[in-house]
Amino acid sequence: MSKRKKNKAKSSQSAPAKTAKADANEVKASEAESAEVESKDAEAAAAESEDAEAAEESEPVSAKADDADDADANDADDSDADADADADDSDADADAESDDSDADADADDADDADADDSDADDESESVAASAADDSDADADDSDSDADDDDADEPAAAAGGAGRSGSADLDAHEDGELYGLLAEFKTPGELIAAAEKIRDAGYTRWDCYSPFPVHGIDPAMGIKRTILPVIVLVVGISGLIGGLLLQWYTNAFDWPWIVSGKPFFSLPANIPITFETTILASVFASFFGMWGLNKLPQHWHPFFSKDRFRKASDDGFFVGIEAADGKFQRGKTQALLEELGATAVETCYVSTDPRRLSLPKPVVGFIIVSLAVALVPFALVAKARTSKSEQPRWHIFPDMDFQPKGTAQAKSDLFADGRVSRMPVAGTVARGHLKADDHFYRGIDGGQWATSFPAGFEVSMEAVEEGRKQYGIFCQPCHGAVGQGDGMVHRRASQLGRNVRGWVQPTNLHQGTIVRQPHGQLFNTITHGIRTMPGYASQIPEADRWSIVLYVRALQRSQNANINDVPNDARSQIRQ
Amino acid sequence: MSAAHDAELHPNEDIKMGPLSMRVQWIAWPLGFALLGLTVFLGSAHGDHFHRFFSSYLVALTTVLAIPLGGMFFVILQPLTRSRWSPVVRRVVEIINTALFPLFLLALGGIVIPMLMGSAGPYHHWVDAPATDHLVHEKHAWLNVPFFCARIVGYFLVWIGITTYFRRKSVQQDESGDHAISEHLRVVSAPCMIIYALTVCFAAFDLLMSVDPHWFSTIFGVYYFAGCAMSIFAALALVLMFLQRSGKLVHSVTTEHYHDIGKLMFAFVFFWSYIAFSQFMLIWYANIPEETVWYQPRMFTSWADLSYVLLLGHFVVPFFFLLSRWTKRYRAPLALFAGWLLIMQFADMFWLVMPELTPEGASFAFMDVTAVLGVLFVCIAWVAASARKYNLVPVKDPLLGVSLGFENY
Repeated sequence: MSKRKKNKAKSSQSAPAKTAKADANEVKASEAESAEVESKDAEAAAAESEDAEAAEESEPVSAKADDADDADANDADDSDADADADADDSDADADAESDDSDADADADDADDADADDSDADDESESVAASAADDSDADADDSDSDADDDDADEPAAAAGGAGRSGSADLDAHEDGELYGLLAEFKTPGELIAAAEKIRDAGYTRWDCYSPFPVHGIDPAMGIKRTILPVIVLVVGISGLIGGLLLQWYTNAFDWPWIVSGKPFFSLPANIPITFETTILASVFASFFGMWGLNKLPQHWHPFFSKDRFRKASDDGFFVGIEAADGKFQRGKTQALLEELGATAVETCYVSTDPRRLSLPKPVVGFIIVSLAVALVPFALVAKARTSKSEQPRWHIFPDMDFQPKGTAQAKSDLFADGRVSRMPVAGTVARGHLKADDHFYRGIDGGQWATSFPAGFEVSMEAVEEGRKQYGIFCQPCHGAVGQGDGMVHRRASQLGRNVRGWVQPTNLHQGTIVRQPHGQLFNTITHGIRTMPGYASQIPEADRWSIVLYVRALQRSQNANINDVPNDARSQIRQ
Repeated sequence: MSAAHDAELHPNEDIKMGPLSMRVQWIAWPLGFALLGLTVFLGSAHGDHFHRFFSSYLVALTTVLAIPLGGMFFVILQPLTRSRWSPVVRRVVEIINTALFPLFLLALGGIVIPMLMGSAGPYHHWVDAPATDHLVHEKHAWLNVPFFCARIVGYFLVWIGITTYFRRKSVQQDESGDHAISEHLRVVSAPCMIIYALTVCFAAFDLLMSVDPHWFSTIFGVYYFAGCAMSIFAALALVLMFLQRSGKLVHSVTTEHYHDIGKLMFAFVFFWSYIAFSQFMLIWYANIPEETVWYQPRMFTSWADLSYVLLLGHFVVPFFFLLSRWTKRYRAPLALFAGWLLIMQFADMFWLVMPELTPEGASFAFMDVTAVLGVLFVCIAWVAASARKYNLVPVKDPLLGVSLGFENY
């Protein structure tokens, strides 16, 4: 465990020198010039020595990997990074392969280490496994898990100050190896390189260019997107959903006649169905495109490379991830250089949990916003489930409480406290005397009047007027002929038991109604009867009498005999 | 799009009609005139004073007219949008547009001259309207024979003028390679598009809607235009396939161009449906007798069957088949649907005109088919004859290279 401690100490010392190390760590693509340009940093010399050290270290570490108990975190992790560089070393390969079984066993241990960071022995084993498994794709998961655990250490100790020249710990310093980034000069070279990398069998890699390079998709071996299928399926769901929504709302849950059309009428439903189809399709294509492209992506490991900024200007990049099954640091780098990359850089990704997580103020803001957003819902939920003695809130009090007197309201101005004033005692407003009992109340000599009042002229015009008024006020319930089968009743029957307490309007041709005196019919229209409301406020007296007249005409038409037909028309009837 | 994808015209490309023109004419001229003659004979034999004949003839004329009218739209649209995919196929459309000449002659001979000589043509509902027909009387200022005939002639002269101008300028560029011609056409295309929209709209009102003078629909012009635009893309796909089978343009016109033609065809299939439904739904919803009278025979007699054929054949089936990328990129399904949609254009015109002749129920006569085929073959012969004079590709169009190397992503 002593080495382990040493590792901690080293990493803590070198933490502030990260940027410099990042530069130092770059592997130059066989260009001495660029190497020198980059090595202007104080640590550049260390970078060169690093490679040398790495080469030296890797073999013994690979050998040690056999002996998992002895492998300690520091060495193992070095070997993880450095054995890559020597992956074409046949010894290392052989070791790795011969350790397949061990590695698998250790992979399990690595999971354990996940669960329990403090278990130093397990951890070191798993790290050893990672060293042995550079070329073993099966154990990739355990490999990275182990690194995660291990990387916690330097990060946790990173608070220390001081600079260190020990560049061989860079892999620890910047986290785990993410991949290689290669720059090409032109889109043409990028396509040529992409074709070679595709043919080499890499799968986890990508190209980055300032503008869409035509032909890059086939060069990279990217299959056609499945987005159209997603859009089609979601679009059809939108179509069906739109139809179902309209059927449920307008034909099932709340059947309602609109414009005399059927409850569920396809032509009227098409526009909304069309809109929901379009909406669903657009959402599917928009969010599907984002999802399939793994957007939004605010950060990428390659952003840590200054060179990568050229990807939005004049640089054409290929990035191959270390997680690729084919990835071998040395071989992959050689391949990229061979393809004409002007520079190949190694990219590490920090696994420091503090750097991976959002800043605390941002997390706090999100949590507070979410909590605040729930308040209205909580209030609504409370209001719906509780009773309150309090008056409701008045958002516009000057609209709700206007300084005016309304009917039946209280007033402090008058002694009797009423807003509505009584007429002066012993007076009648002009036109409101209504002394004529026959005309105004249908009473003649204490009995229901059996004749029409003197002020009402029985004429064809009066019948026509009666027909008009009947059509407006009576027909909806009593029906055009007066059989009690108006639209309202038919509608109520259609709804069936959904309408409670509906009674069919009276058939005006019943004997009792036919035998009623005119005055009683008039009184019924005025004051209503049973469930029928009074129409005194809506129909003036003269019009009520005309309705009585028209009802009489209707009743006669339904109980007519041949004598009621004019002489000249009788011959037609007989036929 | 990178400049690397610019392509050159293939050195061995065959861009002249040559003897193919004569071969097509040898078939099309006799066939066209024979069929037209047969139509006239069948019309006289029908024994209804050429009533049926005139309606069949109108259906045939408007069906075939839709192709060059759509072509006119295409030719004006390309400079207007500075389209980069289309120069390879633009000349073929320009040549197809010469069909407006024979159609003008056929309209003169079959509609304008008979009407000037006293026949009612297919428009007996307003030409022979009784004095009691108040509505037609009110429309007399617009619907009277001399003004009507003048308008028809006017439409054709405007169409022929504009398409000839665009074709002539484009051919000039074959010689001079002057980029200014492209720029000039771009400036001219905007006002031409407005003129096009107005003339096609009013031509549709006059030729087709006035068959029933009591009915009106303000969207009717757009309805006919939708069929026109669909027809040209269907016809263009078929013509290009024919030319390529005959060894022309084999290197220039690629799957990518067919794909774009298919996409536009698909777009206008849907556009037609959209317009047709817009027209129907408002009338159905308002349910006003003076408007619903037009749909009455088409919904409640045996004409309803044809209405359903249009709904399925002009919309549902082509919509779902052309939705796929596959159908547009392979010749066989594209040809199938291009042909099918041209048949549907005929069915559509038939559906517009014929219920006014026999509102009591669907009717069909052999001359309905001979008329449309006769008009079509005469136009094909004329177009084949015109094609001899031109290159089939605008060889010096500044955007030709981009168009040749065009790819869909």
